[in-house]
Amino acid sequence: MKAPTSLPIFSSYEFDSRFYDEIFTNNNEVREVYKTLFNLFSEYSVNDFVNLNDKAKDAFFNQGITFQVYSDQETKEKIFPFDLFPRIIGHEEWCKIERGALQRSKALNLFLWDLYHDQKIIKQGIVPKELIDSSANYLKQMQGFNPPGGVYNHVSGTDLIKHLDGEYYVLEDNIRCPSGVSYVVGNRSALKRTLFGVFNHYQSYNVSDYGENLLEVIESVKPKGVDLPKCVVLTPGVYNSAYYEHSFLAKQMGVELVEGRDLFIENDFVYMKTIKGLERVDVIYRRVDDLFIDPLEFNKDSLLGVPGLFKCYMKGKVCLVNAPGTGVADDKAIYTYMPQIIKYYLDEEPILNNVHTYHCSRPDELKYVLENVDKLVIKPVDESGGYGISIGNKLTKEEIEKVKVTIKESPRKYIAQPIMSLSTHPTYIEEENSFEPRHVDLRTFTLLGKDVDFVLKGGLTRVALKRGNLVVNSSQGGGSKDTWVLKK
Amino acid sequence: MLARVANNLFWMGRYIERSEHLARYMNVNYFSSLDAPNDISQSRQFVLRSMLFVADEEEIKDIKELDEQEVLFDIGLNPDKPFSIVSSINNAQQNANGARDLISTELYESINTLKRTVNNYDKNIFVKNGLFDFTTMVTTNVASLRTKIRGTLLHDEVYAIIMLGIYIERANQVIRIINSKYNDALIEKVNFGSSLTKSYEWTTLLKCVESYDMMRRYYRKVPTSHTVLDFLILNPHCPRSIMNSLKCIDSYIGYLSKEEFPDKDSAAFLIGKLKYEHMFKTIEDVQGDLKGFIEKLVDDLSLVGEKMDKDYFSLY
Repeated sequence: MKAPTSLPIFSSYEFDSRFYDEIFTNNNEVREVYKTLFNLFSEYSVNDFVNLNDKAKDAFFNQGITFQVYSDQETKEKIFPFDLFPRIIGHEEWCKIERGALQRSKALNLFLWDLYHDQKIIKQGIVPKELIDSSANYLKQMQGFNPPGGVYNHVSGTDLIKHLDGEYYVLEDNIRCPSGVSYVVGNRSALKRTLFGVFNHYQSYNVSDYGENLLEVIESVKPKGVDLPKCVVLTPGVYNSAYYEHSFLAKQMGVELVEGRDLFIENDFVYMKTIKGLERVDVIYRRVDDLFIDPLEFNKDSLLGVPGLFKCYMKGKVCLVNAPGTGVADDKAIYTYMPQIIKYYLDEEPILNNVHTYHCSRPDELKYVLENVDKLVIKPVDESGGYGISIGNKLTKEEIEKVKVTIKESPRKYIAQPIMSLSTHPTYIEEENSFEPRHVDLRTFTLLGKDVDFVLKGGLTRVALKRGNLVVNSSQGGGSKDTWVLKK
Repeated sequence: MLARVANNLFWMGRYIERSEHLARYMNVNYFSSLDAPNDISQSRQFVLRSMLFVADEEEIKDIKELDEQEVLFDIGLNPDKPFSIVSSINNAQQNANGARDLISTELYESINTLKRTVNNYDKNIFVKNGLFDFTTMVTTNVASLRTKIRGTLLHDEVYAIIMLGIYIERANQVIRIINSKYNDALIEKVNFGSSLTKSYEWTTLLKCVESYDMMRRYYRKVPTSHTVLDFLILNPHCPRSIMNSLKCIDSYIGYLSKEEFPDKDSAAFLIGKLKYEHMFKTIEDVQGDLKGFIEKLVDDLSLVGEKMDKDYFSLY
């Protein structure tokens, strides 16, 4: 590790003109929204910054915004690496993102309703039937069922990147259990503690209202006949890597954080075991995957769920958020059809761009993919967390051949996209004691309820901390930045 | 409140209280022994044995010669010893973690910060010359945690459960400390021929439970076994007395059960009975058979714990 110096923090910054740099133009000028912040940060020496960085890390540890890492010898508490230099999104730019994210969530919800009812979009040949039939996330049990309020994807996370052309592109829609919102709020809180003076210079939206909006949304989908719904968050437990987020959400909403073992079914109603006996539960924001929510209906070995829960749901006695079977629409193969899905259900043009996607189940596209693996990113359709991704230009010849064999074995399982030029953002790199450009993306959070919707004005900017790396997922060693959306 | 989470909070309260008593006991015993009036009470072995007795009496059974640094490490910072301060604080933090959505951010962060501080404390500094700083840091932080419990939580069921944990543990710890100091006084008497009634250990006992100044103010006399035990066992106004703990346990269980005539098999009934039994005891009743009194009280408190488990946590 280099020793910290008293030089200004940007003294050694060099951006790569092959990518869109979020702060600097190709003429080496600072973009308008960053000018004030850049000037403020330029006053810091590297030493100052090292101290501030340590302070920020302490804030995370003390707040318990951590996850556990297990090794053979010991359990270590770690924080999701956090970068002190925030990302700023201008008002106009944000409005487009917000409208686009909401548009996609609404279209996906209508799509899910159709898939579990008349399947008109399939009958009209817009989305191929085999894509749905072969999806592991399509739950036949949900066919014909009307979820309370008509909502499936109450909580959606949309992953966006900014390309070299300065435009945002959607990488994927996450509508199973999108996580990360707790870090959005945690990052803001850590930054306010560390750089409190900086906030006097910018008018940005706060992000602390997510909990109250989430509660409003989940209360809006209460079962029929319930006046004041009892809502809970269902977590797999303290050892789950997202436990911090689960407890954060419960706390923000002021509702109970329950585990499967805290719930009990009687006469088709769900009850939780309290110190006063059984108390009825009406809405469950579950952070447990479909296949684990009810051992009687799905994975019989699951200890995380509640036996009989799905039956209660089917009888309308409890509402599950997000609805089971929602995952069929965040299959990466479905993503290919998003422009058509938006057009079909909303009769609108997509506000946000899709990255051009090749689906390997189509013979001509498969042929192209197999001939151009080195120029593409290959992704399995049903994985998340950055697992199973191959980036063509990082592969050796042998690895490319292996990828080809894997794709040929089950083409339905893979999509391919051109290698996008994710924008870069100055990021403090501890090992180098300096700022360096790193690739970033943005996850936005959208809520849909009965006659109510909300997009969090902010988001999780994820950073690929390794030089040149394009995979930003936290499970792949990524970090994050506070993200400011500026008021008009 | 979920039964499982209530159980977490109850134990969080117990572990927080336990860590403070242990830290204070180490601090007071070690440093007061430096000024002790005779060879026995100044002896390292005597002091270390007394510390280990309070931490876990099983530990001293087979050990003939105690090593100071080893004993200090075991009680203070040894994560492999379930009775150590670090284990108590880690357990308190884990229990808080399982209920962090119910407690205030201020309280959770303080527990978390204390856990990090204790776990990162330099072992070598602690066992060589850091005993005072470490134990003072723990007691100060636990006092701050108690303030956060009182000052930032709703005084509702969550609060009542935590306070029950605190007071049951306090009663247990104070009775253990009384037992330990009574044994120390006996050893002094046997080996040094000093008076059991006027033993120096009664003063240490008062300091171990932070009640020395108030006891002096109350009696305006030099502490004797009679006045000290009366003050620490039966005085309802002394915050560390057994009587005060029983009163508080009764009041918090009353808040939870809200029944005027609790079931005879319930924790509320048992603690009410226990409180009234002690209200009409005299110190002569206690001193007649202090050993028997201590044993019975420990059993009774353990039974209250069992009944609480049945009444409030059994659905879990």
